[in-house]
Amino acid sequence: MAVKKDYKDQKLAEKLRDRKYYIPDSNPEFIKDVEKIGQTAAHMCYQCGTCTGSCPSAPRSSYRIRLFMRKAILGLEEEILTDPDLWLCTTCYSCTDRCPRDLAPTDAIMAMRNLAFKRDIVPRNFLQTVQLIYKTGHGVPNNDANRAARKRLGLEAEPETTHKYPEYLPGIRRILDHYRLKENADRILAEGE
Amino acid sequence: MSGNKHQYAFFLGCIAPNRYPGIEAAAIQTSKNVGIDLLPLKGASCCPAPGAFGSIDLNVWYAMAARNVVLAEQMKMDIALICNGCYKSIYEVNHKLKHNDELRDGVNEVLKEIDMEFKGTADVWHLAELYYDPKIVGVKKLADSVKRPLAGAKIAVHYGCHLMKPGKERHFGDTENPMWMEELVAALGAEPVQYRNKMQCCGAGGGVRGYDLAHALDITNEKLINMQEVGADAVTEVCPFCQLQFDRGQIEIKEKFGAEYGIPVLHYNELLGLAQGMSPDDLALDLHAISVDPFLKKIL
Repeated sequence: MAVKKDYKDQKLAEKLRDRKYYIPDSNPEFIKDVEKIGQTAAHMCYQCGTCTGSCPSAPRSSYRIRLFMRKAILGLEEEILTDPDLWLCTTCYSCTDRCPRDLAPTDAIMAMRNLAFKRDIVPRNFLQTVQLIYKTGHGVPNNDANRAARKRLGLEAEPETTHKYPEYLPGIRRILDHYRLKENADRILAEGE
Repeated sequence: MSGNKHQYAFFLGCIAPNRYPGIEAAAIQTSKNVGIDLLPLKGASCCPAPGAFGSIDLNVWYAMAARNVVLAEQMKMDIALICNGCYKSIYEVNHKLKHNDELRDGVNEVLKEIDMEFKGTADVWHLAELYYDPKIVGVKKLADSVKRPLAGAKIAVHYGCHLMKPGKERHFGDTENPMWMEELVAALGAEPVQYRNKMQCCGAGGGVRGYDLAHALDITNEKLINMQEVGADAVTEVCPFCQLQFDRGQIEIKEKFGAEYGIPVLHYNELLGLAQGMSPDDLALDLHAISVDPFLKKIL
C-alpha cells in the first residue's frame, strides 16, 4: 500500500494523487546495492522502454526489464527478489547496447540476481552448475561417449583441462570455498528437496 | 609443434571439448593451416559459465575466470578461444581486472590462497576475430587455405551475444547489423544469407536454458523460422553453447512444439575444416543431433 499524502483539500488531493507516493516497506538502499554490484547508474533510468522493446524474453513472457528498473528505483526489494521473471533474462545485452542512458540494464538484473542469491533465492540449475564445477572443474563435464569420439579424432580422451590435470582441482575448490559457494549450493538444494 | 609465427594458449571451455570435440580438433588443425599454433592451456577449468556464476556471485566469477587467465600469464602467452560465453568470462574479467585496481586487489587476495597472482600481462582473443584480422590471418589468407569451396551452400550466420555485446566494452564496431562473419563465410566459397532479426539471441544464455527450457526454445524457434524463410542450408556460429541450443534444440523443439527444420548447425571452425578438406569423420559430425548429411551432399 502506498502512503497517503492526506491533504485536507480533497480537490487538491485528487488532482495531485500519486498512487505510488512511496511504499512503506520499500528499501531505499536497494537501488544503491544494485548500482554497486552492477556498476551502473540505474537510478537515472527515465523509463523509455528501449530495453523491453529490445528484449527477446519480453514477447513470450511477463518479464519486463523496464519494470524491474522502475521497481529497483522505488526500492521494491521484496517484489523484485521473489519474482520468478527475474530469471528469464538471457543476458543477451541488447538492452545494454541500446539503452540511451547507458545504464546497462543487463548488469542491473545480474546485480538483482546476486542480491536474490544472498537470500537463498536462486533456481536449482544455477546451483547444480556450481556442484559440477566443484567436482570436475567443468560445468559440462566429459562422458564416455565423448571420450570415445575424442579418441577417434586423434585427441586424448581427456582434454587439457582439469579433466587431464585433476591436480588443479584443489585450487579451484579453494576459490569456491573462499566464497562458501559450494556449501551454500549444497544447503539450498537440500532444503528445496 | 609446427612453429607458426602466431602462438596462443588455447582455452577450451566445456561444451566444445566435452560435447562437440570436432570443434576442438578443427580449431587446432584449421588454425595451423593459416599460421596459428594453439598450445594446451593445462589445468584450465570452466570459464566459468557467465550466466550461472555471474548471476549467483560476480566476485566468484571474477576470481574463477582470473585463475584461467593467470595460467596463460604463466605461459607468457595470450589466450585464444572458440566460444562466446568463454569470451564473456575470460575477455571481460581480464579487461575489468586490468582497469579496476579495487577489483584486481580483491581477486588477488583470493588467488593468493592458491599461490597465484593476476598481473594483467595477457590478452584474450576469439579465434574468429584473429581469422578476420589481416595482421594475423585475414580474409584473403583464409580464402587461400580453401581446398574444397563450399559452393552453392546458403549459410545463415548467428553472431551470438557475448562476443560483440555490450559494444562499448568490445571492439567489433556495429552490433546492429555486422557483416564481418559473412565475409568469413564468403571466403569459404559459400553464400551468406540475411534473415530477419539476425542479431537475436539463441535463447540459451543467462541460465534460461536450464531454468525454463520451453522459453529458451521458443526464442530459438523464432530464429529457425527466420533462417528457414530464406532457404538456409546451414547455420554457422562461433559459440558451442549456441550450437548446442540450435542443434539439440531442434530435437527438443520437435518434441515440445512439433515443429521440424532439419537445419544443420556448424561451428565456423567445422565449416572451415570442411572447406580446407577435412572429412566429416575428422570433425565427428556424426555427434551432431541434426544430421549434417544434406549439407554435405550439397558441398561434397
